[in-house]
Amino acid sequence: MNTVIDVQHLKKTFNKEAALKDVSFTIQKGEIFGFLGPSGSGKTTTIKILTAQTEKTAGDVLLFGRPANEMKQSNNRKRFGILTDNSGLYTRLSIEENLLLFSNLYQLPKSAVKEALDFVNLYGERKKKISQLSKGMMQRVTLARAIMHKPELLFLDEPTSALDPVNTQHIYNGLRKLNEMGTTIFLTTHDMSEAEILCDRVAFLHKGKIRAIGSPKDLKKEFGDDSITVELKNGACEVIQTGEQDAEKLFNWMQSNEVSRIYTNEPTLGNIFMQITGSDLV
Amino acid sequence: MNISMTRIQAIFMKDYKEFSRNYAVSTMALLPLIMAFVYNQTGAHTISMYFLSINMAFSVVTTYIQCCLIAEEKEKNTLRSLMLSPASLGDILIGKSLFVFIVTSVIVAMTIFIVGYKPSNLFIIAIALMLSAVFYIALGTLCGLFTKSIMEASIIVLPVMLIFSFGPLALALSSTNPIVKIAEWLPSSQLLVLAEALERTYTTMDVIIPIATIIAWSLVTWIVAGFIYKKRMVD
Repeated sequence: MNTVIDVQHLKKTFNKEAALKDVSFTIQKGEIFGFLGPSGSGKTTTIKILTAQTEKTAGDVLLFGRPANEMKQSNNRKRFGILTDNSGLYTRLSIEENLLLFSNLYQLPKSAVKEALDFVNLYGERKKKISQLSKGMMQRVTLARAIMHKPELLFLDEPTSALDPVNTQHIYNGLRKLNEMGTTIFLTTHDMSEAEILCDRVAFLHKGKIRAIGSPKDLKKEFGDDSITVELKNGACEVIQTGEQDAEKLFNWMQSNEVSRIYTNEPTLGNIFMQITGSDLV
Repeated sequence: MNISMTRIQAIFMKDYKEFSRNYAVSTMALLPLIMAFVYNQTGAHTISMYFLSINMAFSVVTTYIQCCLIAEEKEKNTLRSLMLSPASLGDILIGKSLFVFIVTSVIVAMTIFIVGYKPSNLFIIAIALMLSAVFYIALGTLCGLFTKSIMEASIIVLPVMLIFSFGPLALALSSTNPIVKIAEWLPSSQLLVLAEALERTYTTMDVIIPIATIIAWSLVTWIVAGFIYKKRMVD
């Protein structure tokens, strides 16, 4: 069985207000799946339902072929890790003490703490109290806690929202490494470039509905217009189509050495999202 | 229920470290000792005076600390982190309660020593005190689960402390206000009733009724606390 997450016709309402309306998707083992959408689109609610923190209103939600509700069971909780925007760290304890607590709860060897700290580049800072850390460092500690037990499935809710570019890159490399080792990753973000860098497939969630789903490459092909832009040395910019009709034009510019730069007009995931929903990302 | 000693020990050690570094809560443990010292200086060496100090230790230390520990876990979202780990309901509640139970035992023992209470039957009193501690821990757990922050916990726990510490004193008003007679069935009152019975010739029923009442309070409070905890596990 390769399907790790199977969500069909998921609905969730809070006080008669629909947060999720008929959401369906599946995630296969070893995928990095991006769940993209602006704040309030239902991304965190979906994670909460998948990790049995919130009850669904309707629909079917299976994790590892079992109802998501069963994720409340102690043994099943070892199968996934989760990073949320609300860190849930003990501020009077050090980084190491926080991770040691969870390594004991997961019944892991002490070496797991060092491995996790190395992963997030925090081993040298392990004696620091959580109350002394920046938001970015706290995010890294939470990530270390989430991956410490080497889960089969990792939920990441805005994992790099508070990180600087160097640490963001470090986390990306680490996540790819984890993924190569077989961890399936469910990532929610409103950072489209992050999704483009990391994800095998993405789904656009807007106002509680999935508006498009597919690999970034396929979505770009589907929503792109096959045009290219040619910047000429005289400063002019020409948009031409990639068909036979404009080929001669391009050939002539190149022959007369007039071309400064050529680039495709491939849409970004952000452009596609706006095209589909007509909204700006928040 | 899936219970693990490793996980209970981990939660216990975490609570010990957090408590020892949280002076706002840990210094509260000294309050009953100061009160016990003051009562001892007044020279009023009666059973009801001894148990005023002991019941205060239960309210101020046991209920208040347990309530604050849980409220802070909720406020900082760490309770959710524990709930998402393999720690079961039993691991979390036993781990937290064990720590408060030990702190309570030390403070109550010191209170008894300071007020100079020498029970005629130490064994029965020790059992009744341990059962009372279990009840007050449940009460603190329940209060903590109903609050969202330490600030809220400090307020919600006040009437609870007042009722259970000073409930036995209210019995003095029962001749004019019959409704106050209900206070007779509070665990704090039953503890006092038991202690007074042990100082004279007593029957088996004199021992069984107070102990059974305290056990009943504990059971009901723990069942409600467990139910509320499970409800709080989901949003």
